[in-house]
Amino acid sequence: MNTPQFIMTRHFDAPKELVWRTWTDADLVARWYGPGVETVIHEFNPTPGGLWLNEMRMDANSMNQRMEFTEVSPTDRLVMKMSNADADWNVIPSPMMENWPRVLLTTIDLEDTGDGTDLTLTWEPFEATDAELALFADAIPNLENGWGAGMDVIAEILAEF
Amino acid sequence: MEQSGYQMDTSDLDAVFAALADPTRRAILQRLSTGAATVQDIAQPFEISQPAISRHLKVLENAGLVTRAIDRQTRPATLTARPMKDAVAWLTEFRDHWDSRLNQLENLLTELQTKDSK
Repeated sequence: MNTPQFIMTRHFDAPKELVWRTWTDADLVARWYGPGVETVIHEFNPTPGGLWLNEMRMDANSMNQRMEFTEVSPTDRLVMKMSNADADWNVIPSPMMENWPRVLLTTIDLEDTGDGTDLTLTWEPFEATDAELALFADAIPNLENGWGAGMDVIAEILAEF
Repeated sequence: MEQSGYQMDTSDLDAVFAALADPTRRAILQRLSTGAATVQDIAQPFEISQPAISRHLKVLENAGLVTRAIDRQTRPATLTARPMKDAVAWLTEFRDHWDSRLNQLENLLTELQTKDSK
């Protein structure tokens, strides 16, 4: 099976160097990552093999994410392995979905467009099981463009209820 | 945390995604959203056989999206929307995860640039 990908592109009215800094400076990352919740960065080392240990503090509990940088090419590309983690920063499966890929390879590509920067975020399962790949492949076309017209159909069906 | 009355079964959600990923099955669900229907009713507008419809119904039934009457020979199928709602909610949350983060990033970039230009 080919590795399914989730791709999302956003344009920012900001120079590439600044966008790069918002992804690689821990103080800046803490200011935008984890909207609406307190974000505590326990470790942040944007070098190949370096870790980003991120805690999001909710009302009653916190959610830990463990990221390991695998490629850091200023100011073009940042690649990391993203996972949910337990309190000791061990990789754990998604608490919501058993077969959600445990490790998602996350690639951030920045491109200077003259009037700003395009950021392309690519998510793909990393060393995933067949079940993880299958679930991701079933789910992500919906994320990107709504299964073509599929999402509209589902919205229509749900509206009937 | 307070226990909610409805517990989402994660393995079921996997099955829901697989079931929803097929256009014929989505069309069947759409037909059922207007009311219960038998295999024969459902097969009519499609250019596929009743056994094929039955197989699709089985997938939908296993995903908890459809229930079949057991008391009648024609076994009309009825839509159960809850698992679909859960699946859509999960996906929406997932997309929002990045959407809302990138919105915040955009705000931060604006803020940083305003400061720089002062």
